Amino acid sequence: MKIIDNLKNGNLRDSGAEFWEKSSPTKRKILATSFIGVAALAPFMGFGLLDTPISDFGAVLVYPVGMFILMALGLNIVVGKSGLLDLGYVAFFAIGAYTMAILGTRTSLNTWEVMPIGIALAMIAGLILGLPALRLRGDYLAIVTLGFGEIVRISALNTREIGGPNGIANVPTPPSIGPIKFSLNDQKAYFWVVLIMILLTIWMIRRLSVRRAGRAWEAIRQDEDVAELMGVHTLKYKLWSFSLGAGIGGAAGVLYASKTLFIAPEMFTLNVSILILACVVFGGMGNIWGVVLGASILAYLPERIRFISDARLLVFGLALVITMNFRPDGLLPRKKREKIVANSSREVTS
Amino acid sequence: MKKTLLELKDLTIKFGGVTALNEVNLKIYEGEILALIGPNGAGKTTVFNVVTGVYKATSGEVLLNDKSLNGMKRHHITKLGISRTFQNIRLFGDMTALENVITATDVHKKSGLLGGLFGTSRARREEKEGREKAHELLKFIGIDEYSDRLARNLPYGVQRRLEIARALGTNPQILLLDEPAAGFNPAEKVELAATIKKIRDAGFTVLLIEHDMSLIMGISDRVAVLDFGQKIADDLPSVVQNDKRVIEAYLGVPADAS
Repeated sequence: MKIIDNLKNGNLRDSGAEFWEKSSPTKRKILATSFIGVAALAPFMGFGLLDTPISDFGAVLVYPVGMFILMALGLNIVVGKSGLLDLGYVAFFAIGAYTMAILGTRTSLNTWEVMPIGIALAMIAGLILGLPALRLRGDYLAIVTLGFGEIVRISALNTREIGGPNGIANVPTPPSIGPIKFSLNDQKAYFWVVLIMILLTIWMIRRLSVRRAGRAWEAIRQDEDVAELMGVHTLKYKLWSFSLGAGIGGAAGVLYASKTLFIAPEMFTLNVSILILACVVFGGMGNIWGVVLGASILAYLPERIRFISDARLLVFGLALVITMNFRPDGLLPRKKREKIVANSSREVTS
Repeated sequence: MKKTLLELKDLTIKFGGVTALNEVNLKIYEGEILALIGPNGAGKTTVFNVVTGVYKATSGEVLLNDKSLNGMKRHHITKLGISRTFQNIRLFGDMTALENVITATDVHKKSGLLGGLFGTSRARREEKEGREKAHELLKFIGIDEYSDRLARNLPYGVQRRLEIARALGTNPQILLLDEPAAGFNPAEKVELAATIKKIRDAGFTVLLIEHDMSLIMGISDRVAVLDFGQKIADDLPSVVQNDKRVIEAYLGVPADAS
């Protein structure tokens, strides 16, 4: 049994993918539906070992867990798929959040109406940053994006019209959808919205991965010069990657502002960018499920061990170092497997 | 008179004080195999790099179908019909052999990212066509059995041939092969020679850099010789073989002949 062998070698990703490919379409539908069902029931699982002792479990699921997964998936398009090191990802999160806060407090637009605006603005910001910055490579790109993240935060800090260091308070919650109400005491509704956003993102990435865009990104990541010589319009696809990632960060920001109801520049520091990047690297760059797992653990763990207060970051850091030692490519690394049977015309997903 | 496909006109490249190519004039006719030979450092790969847009010409120009390629973006040049392989193999290692070739076929696709995302009928059709075309090319080169293997796990010889298949994936008018036989044993070289001829017979024009003389003499329609950035000969293989300057460039001047 190849699956058993893979399990023995600790190659979980490959066995999962193989299992999925061998399943019939009906079986896949059942699997996917039940997986989504279990995820949707997550807010009811806050008891026993899973519960977070000090923070509210439902709230933890929305932020950090859900939001981190969403942002890590967005950053994964940039860092994992296309190999562009972006250290200023928080900027797009901030742009989304500020869009919501400004429009929510000064106009009658509600969260759902602001959402497309926030995404669009973040994507445009991605283009504006990307157009000059993406001509650079590697470390140089990292430095420019890092600078961009700081510029956005410091601009917010120094612009009195948007509250300066005081930020913006009284951001409205989303209007209820039918019987589902959004309230801070019971954050299930928020979680379901994040879950839908995560699922949409996963759908998008899986779709693009097996098509022209995914191949272009993959080629750029592996050898940008050759990619261009093989006809890949590298700048165009890098810009796409950048602005799609930015759009997802923006979407997360809009919802975040509408959940915390108060935002300030201090929430959008370099730390957030680094933490999201850590989720991607820890989980397994380029692999959706690795990133989801990595982000879940990195977001959840500090909340779970919050009772040891000051020591928790120490434990957290230690856990990171140890894991990366044993699994340097992340928990679930990207596709390694090859199909020996040369018959499949079915699309290989990654 | 045969039609000129690619032309180098007074092409000069300088890197600082070093002149890599010095006023090289060269015509490549449609449907021929032209071998470009010369000692190490003669400027052969530099020619490839100028033609594909990696280097910019200091002066002179490169013409494809009488249209100047100067200042064009690399991916645009590829789209116009020039494709190449690399002296040191540069495949996309983490992709399967098939994906490597499909990536190259993408250059002529009309549907972009959004088409792929929303699965428009054009995107799906092009995706299917690209896949079929890639399989066809792998078969043509004789490595279809490896289509689902990751490129970096393939045997050396297969990798070299996959480079050719990938280059053909862009459906070029002219194919540039940079030492395709490097590291091959005699049997593989014979096989490669047959493949290159097959490529020419399928309607592609081939510009070939190679060191193996028997291979070149066997398949080339014409041979051009570079030495220190200058073209010193350009003729039929049999003529070039006996050219005094070519022999000097390759073997040096014998002491008793001077």
